[in-house]
Amino acid sequence: MLQCVFLLSDSGEVMVEKQMTAHRVDRAICGWFWEYVLAHAAGDPSKVLQVVVSPTHYLFQVYRHGVTFLACTQVEMPPLMAIEFLSRVADVLTDYLGDLNEDIIKDNFVIVYQILDEMMDNGFPLTTEPNILKEMIAQPNIVSKMLNVVTGKSSAIGNKLPDATASFVHWRTTVVKDASNEAYVSIVEELDACVNREGVLVKCEACGDIVVNSSLPGVPELTLSFANPTIINDVRFHPCVRFRPWESSQILSFVPPDGQFKLMSYRVKKLKTTPIYVKPQLSSDLGNCRVNVMVGIRNDPGKPIDSITVQFQLPPLIASADLTANHGTVDILADQTCLWTIGHIPKDKAPSLSGNLRLEEGLAHLHVFPTFQVKFRIMGVALSGLQIDRLEVKNTPSAPYKGFRAQTQAGRYEVRS
Amino acid sequence: MFGLQASSAAASWVVGRMGTDAHLYDDPEDASIPALLDSRFDADRIDALKRLLALIAQGVDVAHLFPQVVKNVAAQSLEVKKLVYLYLLHYAEKRQNEALLSINIFQKDLSDINPLVRAWALRTMAGIRLHVVAPLVLVAVKKCARDPSAYVRKCAAYALCKLFDLLPEESTTLEEIVDVLFSDNSPGVVGAAAVAFKSVCPNCLALISKHFRRLCETLPDIEEWYQITLIEILLRYVIARHGLVKDSVMFASNLSLVAQGGVTVDTMSYTQPTSVGGISGTRPNIMLLRHYIEEHPGCFDREDDKFSSPSVTTSTNDDVAILLKCTSPLLWSQNSGVVLAAASVHWIMAPVEEVKRIVGPILFTLRSSPDAAYVVLGDILVFAKTAPLLFAPYDEDFFICSSDPYQTRALKLEILTTIASESSIPAIFEEFEDYIKDPNRRFVADTVAAIALCAQKLPSISSTCLEGLLSLVFYESSITNSVHLDGEDIVLVQAILSIKAIVKIDAASHEKVIIRLVRRLDKIKQPAARSLIIWIFGEYSSVGNLIPKIIPPVLKYLAWSFAAEVLETKLQILNASAKVIIHSAEEHLEEFKRIMAYITDLAACDLNYDVRDRARFISNLLPCGKTSLNENDSTCQSHSQDIRKELADHIFGGKIPTTSHSDSNYRIYLPGSLSQVVLHAAPGYAPLPKPQSMELIYHTIKLTRDTANSSESNNSNAESESSYESGSVYDSESEGGGLSDKDATGSSQYPNDDGHNLHHRQDNQEAPLVHMYDDNVDQGQTGRNVEDNLSSLISTDLTELMSKSALESWLDEAPALPAVQESMQKSIARVSFTNRSFERKPKLHTLLDPSNTSGLSVIYAFSAEISPISRLLVCIDLFVENNTTDQLTDIIIKSEEASISKDEMDQTSEGSASIPTLAPVEEIRSLAPQQTVKMILQVHFHHHLLPLKLSVLCNGKRHPAKLHPDIAYFVRPLPMDLNAFLCKENQLRGVFEYARRCTFKDHLQKHGCTEESTDHTDKNLLVAQSLASKVLSNANVHLVSMDMPVTFSIDDASGLCWRFSSEILSTSNPCLITILAEGHTSGPLDLTVKVNSEDTVFGLNLLNRVVTIIE
Repeated sequence: MLQCVFLLSDSGEVMVEKQMTAHRVDRAICGWFWEYVLAHAAGDPSKVLQVVVSPTHYLFQVYRHGVTFLACTQVEMPPLMAIEFLSRVADVLTDYLGDLNEDIIKDNFVIVYQILDEMMDNGFPLTTEPNILKEMIAQPNIVSKMLNVVTGKSSAIGNKLPDATASFVHWRTTVVKDASNEAYVSIVEELDACVNREGVLVKCEACGDIVVNSSLPGVPELTLSFANPTIINDVRFHPCVRFRPWESSQILSFVPPDGQFKLMSYRVKKLKTTPIYVKPQLSSDLGNCRVNVMVGIRNDPGKPIDSITVQFQLPPLIASADLTANHGTVDILADQTCLWTIGHIPKDKAPSLSGNLRLEEGLAHLHVFPTFQVKFRIMGVALSGLQIDRLEVKNTPSAPYKGFRAQTQAGRYEVRS
Repeated sequence: MFGLQASSAAASWVVGRMGTDAHLYDDPEDASIPALLDSRFDADRIDALKRLLALIAQGVDVAHLFPQVVKNVAAQSLEVKKLVYLYLLHYAEKRQNEALLSINIFQKDLSDINPLVRAWALRTMAGIRLHVVAPLVLVAVKKCARDPSAYVRKCAAYALCKLFDLLPEESTTLEEIVDVLFSDNSPGVVGAAAVAFKSVCPNCLALISKHFRRLCETLPDIEEWYQITLIEILLRYVIARHGLVKDSVMFASNLSLVAQGGVTVDTMSYTQPTSVGGISGTRPNIMLLRHYIEEHPGCFDREDDKFSSPSVTTSTNDDVAILLKCTSPLLWSQNSGVVLAAASVHWIMAPVEEVKRIVGPILFTLRSSPDAAYVVLGDILVFAKTAPLLFAPYDEDFFICSSDPYQTRALKLEILTTIASESSIPAIFEEFEDYIKDPNRRFVADTVAAIALCAQKLPSISSTCLEGLLSLVFYESSITNSVHLDGEDIVLVQAILSIKAIVKIDAASHEKVIIRLVRRLDKIKQPAARSLIIWIFGEYSSVGNLIPKIIPPVLKYLAWSFAAEVLETKLQILNASAKVIIHSAEEHLEEFKRIMAYITDLAACDLNYDVRDRARFISNLLPCGKTSLNENDSTCQSHSQDIRKELADHIFGGKIPTTSHSDSNYRIYLPGSLSQVVLHAAPGYAPLPKPQSMELIYHTIKLTRDTANSSESNNSNAESESSYESGSVYDSESEGGGLSDKDATGSSQYPNDDGHNLHHRQDNQEAPLVHMYDDNVDQGQTGRNVEDNLSSLISTDLTELMSKSALESWLDEAPALPAVQESMQKSIARVSFTNRSFERKPKLHTLLDPSNTSGLSVIYAFSAEISPISRLLVCIDLFVENNTTDQLTDIIIKSEEASISKDEMDQTSEGSASIPTLAPVEEIRSLAPQQTVKMILQVHFHHHLLPLKLSVLCNGKRHPAKLHPDIAYFVRPLPMDLNAFLCKENQLRGVFEYARRCTFKDHLQKHGCTEESTDHTDKNLLVAQSLASKVLSNANVHLVSMDMPVTFSIDDASGLCWRFSSEILSTSNPCLITILAEGHTSGPLDLTVKVNSEDTVFGLNLLNRVVTIIE
C-alpha cells in the first residue's frame, strides 16, 4: 500500500503532499529523490527508473509533462499497481484540468487534493473511474469559474453519491444528461519502425488505439466489428469490453462510459514497409564528418503526409556543426539535439539535409553514430490496414449519429546511421 | 507583433487563473485564517480551509489551528466537511486529544441519510486512528458492512484494514466481517473485501474455500486494482489447497515442448536434467520453485518426492481449471498490473503447452504501458531464464530503442542473450553490431560482454564473434591512443575479456586469435587491457603449434617494457614469464631463464613491495640461472626442488576451473512482486504457501513427531554425531569448489571476470571465509536443517567437531593436498549452547548510596525473569542492605507517581501512561544490621526510556531515587531455532536492518590469566563463550546459535558468529541480533553487530546498547 503521494515540479519543489496512511512520510524523502535525479539523470526525472530504492522507502515515480508523481511505500506491494495508479492519477488530472503543468497543479490544488483523496484510501485505490469522479467532484469549467468570481461561491463537491458506485457497470454514470446522441470512433495508430545501419528494416509494427467518444443517453449497448480482425496480434481492452464475444467471434461488445475513452489497444506486427524513407549518411575523415540525410516517400499511403520531422542527437566530441537543408528548417537545440522540421514533402524536390561536423582536436574518425528519430502524421489512414466493419447501437431511444476517423503517426520510428 | 503575442498570452494566462484557487496557493497567509474559520459564512470558512490546505501542500505545519478546524466538522456544507476531513486526516495523529472532539459528529453522520456522508464519516473516523475510539469504529464498521449502499460497504472494507492496525486482538471479529463482505453481491464490495482480507488475515485461506468459485466468476467484473489483489489471494489458496500442477512449467522435464514452429535448438544448453531430483524436473525449474515457496527451508529435502510428483493436473482439478479459465481473459486487461498478475498464475499453474499464451500479452505491455516496462522486463528475464524457448520467437520485442534508459537496456540485453538460439542469433548479432556504435559506452561494454555469453552458449558462432571482437579491439585501441575519451577504456577492456572468455572454451583452435591479440600489445596502452593480454599470453603459452614459436620475441618485448609498466602489468609479466618457463620445452629453456632472471632482477629493485615480493617468490620457486651457491647438502636440495616444482606447477599450471554461468546467486521472487524488482525481500514479502498445506496439517504433525524421534535416537550416541560432522565437511567442499581454488593458488586465473581482480590478488586471503560462510548458510541451509537439529546438544570442544581426515592432515604438518585445505577453510561448525550454559553476571547499579541515606544501601540489577503479573513488565532485582549498626524498620519503596493496579497492567493504553509505572511492592518490616534482603520490582516502562522516580521510605525518612531503564531489558527472549531465525531475518531486510562495527577486547585479559592451564582448549571457543556470556548477562535475549569456523590456523577467529533472538515487550515484534567476528584471537576482534527489527527506532537503540555492552 502506498503511504503517500507527492507531486513535484520540474525543479524538484513539492507542490502537493498527500499522506495516505497513518504512517506519515516526511517530505524530506522528496529532497532525497531530487538529489538522486540530479545525480543519476542530470535533473531529468523522465530518465529515472519507475522504481527507486531509497534508504528508508521504496519510491515509485511517473513523470508527465513536467510533473513528477512520486509515491512511497515501505512494504511489499505489486509495483505495477503503484505505477499504474500514478499514471491513472496523471490521466485523471489531465482530463480534469485540460492539461498538466506546474502552474495548473498549483492553481487547482484544492481539486487535486479532493481527487487524490477520492482516488485512494488507506493506500489502496478507491474510485478511479473518471465518469464517477466527475460526478463526485465537479470539473472546473468556465461557468463555475465565472460563478466563483461573481458570487464568490461555487461548490466543487457533488452532494449525492453517484449511483454507479453500486452498479455492475462501474465505469458509467447511470443518468447521462444532455446527451447529444452521437458516437465517434477513431483509430489512432503509431508506427514503430527500426532501420539498422545497413538500411534494412529490422522491425515495423503498428500500435493502435480505438478511441471512442460517446455521448449517448440511457444505457446503450454497442457492438463494433472489424473487417479484418485476424491481422491483430495483441490486444487489450477497456474494462467495459465483454471478453466472451471477442473470444468467440472477435466482436467488441460494450456499454461505453460517457465521453472520450480508449476502448481498445492493439498491435499489428511484421508490416512490410514504411510510408517514407530516411537515409542518413555520415562519413568522417581527418577530423571532419560529412552528414547527408535524404527523406522521401517510399510507399504513398494515398493521403498527404505532414508534420514530418527528423531529430538526432549530435555525437559527443563535436567542436562545431554546420548543417543546412534544402527544405524546411534546421535547429540545434540546447541539449545538442538537431531538429529538422520538414512539414510536407514537396512535389518537385526531395528534401535533404547536408553539412559538416568538425570533430574535436585529435579525433580523426567518428566512433559513435547517432540514431535518427522520425516523426510524421497521416490523417485518414490506418497504416496497419485495420478496418472497422460496422458499429451497432442498441438500447437508445433514437438512432444516434455515428462517425469514423483514422489517423497514423510515427511512434518509435528510428533510423540508425 | 511580438509584443501583442506576449500580451495576449499573458491575458489568457490571467483568464486561465481567474476563478481558480491560484491566489490562495500563491499567498495563503494574506488573511487571518483563525478569524475566517470562526466566520458564520460557509464561503469564509471554505476560504480559510483552502488556505490551510495550501499551507499543508507547501509543507508548513498548521497543526496549531486544530481546535478551530475541528469545530467545523459539524458544518452542514459538504464542501466544508470534505476540506475539514482532509485537514483532520493530515494532523489527527499529532493531535489525538483534540481529534476526540470530532467523534460525536462522526457518530451522528454515520446515521445520515446521504450515503456519501456516511461513507466519509466512516473513512475519516477510521482514518484518524485513535486507540480510544477503536471499539466505536468497530461497531460502526459492523453496521456499515450491512449498509444498503454498496459504496458505504466498500468503505467499511477499507476501514477494516485501518482497524486491524489498532485492534489486532479483535482479529476474529474482523475476519467475520471480511466473510460477510465476501458474500456481498456487489462486485465492488467483493473486491474491497479482498483488500481487507489481505491486510487482516492473509493466511486464513480457509475463509476463501467457501467463496472460491464465486470469487473466480466475479473476477472479470471487479475493478482492476481489486483484480490484482484477488488473483494473488486465489493463487495462494489453490496452492495451499491443491498443491502444484503436475504438467506446469515448474515440473516440465523438457521445455522444448513449449517451442512451436520447428525451432531447432539443443535443449542441453539450458536444461540439464538432474539426477538429484529423481524422476522428472530440471534443476532450474526446481530451483525456481524453491525460490517461490520458501517459507519452510528444509522441507524440500524431506518431502522431495512429494514435490516431484504433485497429484493435481488441470484436467482433473476443477478449482485449478476454473482459476485458469477466469484469469485468462484478464491477460487482455488495460492495466499492466492485472496482466502480470494473471500471467503469473498461468506461469505457475498452467500446463506447459498453455503457458505460451501469456507471452504475447506480457510483451504487449512493454509497448502499451511504457512506464511499466522496467518492472515487466525484470519478470520476463526470470521467465526467459527458465523457459528460453517460450520467448525465442519474439527477439524483436527486446531490440533496444534509443529512448530506453540504461537499466532497461541492460535487462533487454540479458534477455536477448538468454533467448538467443541458432536460428535467431544472426538477427541478434546484427543488432549487437549496431549497438556497438551507440554513444552510451557503458551500454556498449555490456553488449560486448553479451556477445561473449552468446558465443559461449552457441559455439558455432564463436569464430565470427572473435573476428568481430578483434577488430573492435584494434579499432578501440587506435582511438584511445589518439584522444582520451571517457568510457572508451571499459569497452576495450571488456572486448578483451570477452575474447578471453570465448578463447577459454577451446584455446587450441583459436590460437591465431591469441597471436593477433599479442601482436597488438605494443599498440595498446591501457594498463588493464595490457595485463589481460599478457595473462592470456602466459596462460596459453603452451597451447597449439604456433604460439610457442612467438614466445621468445614476446618475452623479450615484455622484459624490455617491464620497467615502464604499471603495477598490475608488472605482476602479470612476472606471472606470465613463470608460466612460460614451466611449460617451455627444453630447447628454449635456457634462453627463457635468462630473460626471466633479467625480469626478476628488475622487479627485485622495484619501488613497489608487491612486485618485489612477487619477484622473490617466483625466483625461489623457479630458480633460474644463478642458482645454488651452496651445493653441499644436495639431498635436501633435490628434495626441496621436487616440492618447489610441484608447488610451481600447482600455482601456475593449475587448470582454470570451468565456471558455468550459474544462477545460484541470482535471487528470484514471485513474479510481479516488488521484491523481484529490487532483488531483495521487501518487508512483508510472503512466498507462496506450502503446497497442499491446508490438507496436510495432520500429516505434518505426524511427520514432525517422526523426525523428533529420530533426532532423539541420534543424539544419544555421540559417534553418529561426529560422523555427521565429517559429512558436512565434504558437503561444503562440493559446494563451492571454484571459489576456494582461487584462494589456494592465489594466482590470477579468474575466468570471465573483470579486470579489478588483478588488483586484489593479495586481499583474497582475508575475504574468503566470510564469503564461504554465506554460501554455506544460504545454500546449505536447506540441506542442513535436519542436521542442525541434531547438533543442538553438542560438545564444546572444537577438536571433536573437525572431521578426522582434516584433523590428521593438520597434525601431520605435511604439505597437505589443496583439496583438504579447502575443505577445512570453509567448514563452519555450528555449536549450540543452551542459554544456561553461560553464567549470567548482571551488572549492578546503585539506587541509593549508604552515605546519603544514613546507612541504607539499595542496589539493583535487571533480571531475566519474566514477571508473573504481566508479560509487559520488566523485573528488577533489588538488594536492600543495612549498613548501619541499628535496626532499620518500615522500608517502603514506592513510585513517586501513582502506581498501577493489577488490571491496568496488561493494557498498552497510549495516552496518559507513558511514564513508567511500578507494581506494588511489599514493604520490609525490619532489617537487622548487615542484613541483605532481595526484592523483586516489576516495572512497566511503556517502551520509553524515562527513568522511574522512586521514593524509599525508611525509618520515616524519604529518600528520592531514580531507576534508569536499560533498553536491553525491554525485550524478552524469544526461543527459536536457527532456521526460524534465518527465515525471520530474511523477512526483515532492507530498511529494517541496521549494522554497526565495534571491537571486542575482553578475551585478551582472559587469555592472559588462563594461558597455562588451557593450552589445549580452543581460543575461539573461549572468545565465543566470553562474548556470549557478556551479551547474555547484559541483555534479556535468547542465544540461537554460535557458529565457529573450523580454520586452518588456530588463531583465526574470522567467521565466528553469534545469533540472538528476542521480542519487544510492548509489541511482541521479533528483534534479531547477529554478531559476526573478524580478525585474530590474539588481538582485538572486529565485530559487526546487526539488528533486524520491524521497530526501526527501537532496533537502532538496541543496536547501540549492544555495542556498548560489548565494548
